Amino acid sequence: MKETNNSTLQVPWTGYLAFFIAILLFSGIFSSSDGWLKVFDFNVLNGSFGKIEGVEKAFTFRGANGSGARDGFLFAFELIPAVVLALGLVNVIDGLGGLKAAQKLMTPILKPLLGVPGVAALANIANMQSTDAAAGMVKELVDTGEITDEERSVIISYQTSASAFLTNYFSSGAAVFSFMLVPIIVPIIVMLIFKIIGANLMRLYLKTVLKKTSPGGIHHDN
Amino acid sequence: MTTKAAETTPNKNILDLFIEGARHGFTIGTTSLLPNVVMAFVIIRILEVTGLLKLIGVVCAPIMALWGLPGEAATVIITSLMSMGGGIGVAVSLYTSAHLDAAQVTMLVPAIYLMGNPVQNIGRCLGISGVNTKHYAAILSICVINALLSIWAMRFVLMFF
Repeated sequence: MKETNNSTLQVPWTGYLAFFIAILLFSGIFSSSDGWLKVFDFNVLNGSFGKIEGVEKAFTFRGANGSGARDGFLFAFELIPAVVLALGLVNVIDGLGGLKAAQKLMTPILKPLLGVPGVAALANIANMQSTDAAAGMVKELVDTGEITDEERSVIISYQTSASAFLTNYFSSGAAVFSFMLVPIIVPIIVMLIFKIIGANLMRLYLKTVLKKTSPGGIHHDN
Repeated sequence: MTTKAAETTPNKNILDLFIEGARHGFTIGTTSLLPNVVMAFVIIRILEVTGLLKLIGVVCAPIMALWGLPGEAATVIITSLMSMGGGIGVAVSLYTSAHLDAAQVTMLVPAIYLMGNPVQNIGRCLGISGVNTKHYAAILSICVINALLSIWAMRFVLMFF
C-alpha cells in the first residue's frame, strides 16, 4: 500500500468521465429538466411503481396506514430497487476508474486539510467504501513507519465518523432518497466536511490537551 | 465492495459491472436493509403501543428543540449509536407515522452516518487500525460532536432548497 504514490497513479480518461457522471447523477442537477438530459438523474432512473387503479383514485401497492413489521417489510421492499440501482451504478463508476479519479483529485486537497502525509490518501479514499479495509491500511502505514501514532489518531478520527459512507449511504440511505428535500449528493458533501472537521478537532486535541500530559507519546507501538 | 472489483477484473464491461454491483445491492437490500427497516418499524410500534414514544417526545422535546426537532427525533440519534441502518429505519418509520416531516428527516440523514454506530466501530475502525487506546474517548466524542453539528449545518443548507 505504501508504494502507491499519487503522482504515479494512472487514471484513464474514462475515470474522470465516470466521476463527472457520478456527480451529475447524484447531484440532481437535471432532476427537473424537461428534455433528454434528465436521463442523468438518479431518481429519474429509479422511476416509480405503478399505481393500483381504484374507483375514486389510484393506490400504491404498499397502501396507507400500515404499521409494525408488515408495513416495514413492504416499505423495505419498495426501497430495494433504489439500492440495486445505486450499487450497480457505483460499481460501474468504480470499475471505470471513477474512484481513482476521485482519489487523484482529492489527494492534494486532503493533505493540507487533514495535516497528514499524502501517503494516507489511499486509505482515506478506501474509507469511502469500507471501514475495515481502510483501517487495516492505516495500521500498515504505522507498522511500516510511514505515519506516526498521532497521525494515525488524526486519520482514524476522519475515518470513524461516517465510515464507509458511500456504501452505507447508498444502501440504507436510499430509504430517504425519494422524499429528502436536498439533492442526493448534498448529505455526502456535508458528511465529508464534518469528517474533515472531526480530524481537525483531533489535531487540536492532540496539540492542546495531550501535549501537556504526555510529551513523548509519538512513537507508540501497538 | 472495495476497489478490488476493478483491480482484479479489468476486462469486465459496463453491463457486467452494473450487474455485479446490482447483485451486491440486492444482497444488501434483502439481507441488511430489509431486516433493519423491519426492526426499526417494530421498535417504533412497541414505543407507540406502550406510549413510550409520547413520553420520549415530551422528555426530549426541550433538548431536541435546540436543533429544531421534535422530541421523538431523539430515538433516531439513540438508534444510530448502535446501527446506521437502524437509525435510517427509525427516521423513515417516524416519517411514515407523521412524527417527523421530510425536512426534519433530511436534517438527520448526515448525523446518522456521522454518528456511525460507535458501538461497532470500537472493534472495527479503532481496533483494526490499532489506534492509541487513550484516544478512544476523543475519537468517539468527535463522532457525536460531528453528528450534532451536522444537524445545524443541514438546517442551514435546507434554507437554499
